Amino acid sequence: MSSLGYLAAVNVVIWIGLFAYLWRLDRRVSEKERSS
Amino acid sequence: MKVLKLLLLPYMAAVIGAAFLWPEPAKGFIGESSRIVFFHVPCAWASTLAFIVAAVYSAAFLWKGKPWYDDIAAAAVRIGLLFGVLTLITGSLFARVMWGSWWNWDPRESSYLLLVFLYSAYLFLRAAVEDPERRPRIAAAYALFAAVLMPFLTFVAPRVTASLHPQTVINPQGKILMDTPTRAVFFGAMAGFSALFFWLLSIDARAARLRRTGENLHRD
Repeated sequence: MSSLGYLAAVNVVIWIGLFAYLWRLDRRVSEKERSS
Repeated sequence: MKVLKLLLLPYMAAVIGAAFLWPEPAKGFIGESSRIVFFHVPCAWASTLAFIVAAVYSAAFLWKGKPWYDDIAAAAVRIGLLFGVLTLITGSLFARVMWGSWWNWDPRESSYLLLVFLYSAYLFLRAAVEDPERRPRIAAAYALFAAVLMPFLTFVAPRVTASLHPQTVINPQGKILMDTPTRAVFFGAMAGFSALFFWLLSIDARAARLRRTGENLHRD
């Protein structure tokens, strides 16, 4: 794999991790809103 | 709304992949350094958008007095600062490659750093005022003051003297100097970062409202 391909793959993995974190955070805030 | 958030996952993954693999690197730049434009400019745009949102909701708070508007304004400043710092970091990486130094006190670097300080002061101000009745009013007034300076620091000051910074999208020629793949990825990234900003804003503002109502419960 070229170095640009490697960088693209690493950045996409970082984005997927960030997305999963935000998704969980959003869900937790929604749950708290419902229970309060 | 949930579908839009879900769509952001493949959309941004595609934008990130394309930023590295689709357009050719721009001429006149060392190596692949021009690709930073797909991250650096959208970060700067997202922070500008955030500061505009902060000003609008601060004005709305002063007018209507709804605490929810203050929650949104404060969240917008926090997220605007996050994108502002990312703009400085990505700009500094580019400066190291192109100009040989992490920081050059270029007019654009300096004015952007001042902008970050200006909005950092908003957070210090909020933290310093303990009275929960006065805090949002003082913060809203400051956000409006900062909003008057923001366009000057973002658009005017960097153009007053000669700068090392490459030509921006708003340039003297009055047209976008990009080939089709670069333009597609660039505006795709601008749209993606804008969507990401609004999602972050929604999470942070709603969390701030939960904290505030929790605080009120404790006080009562």
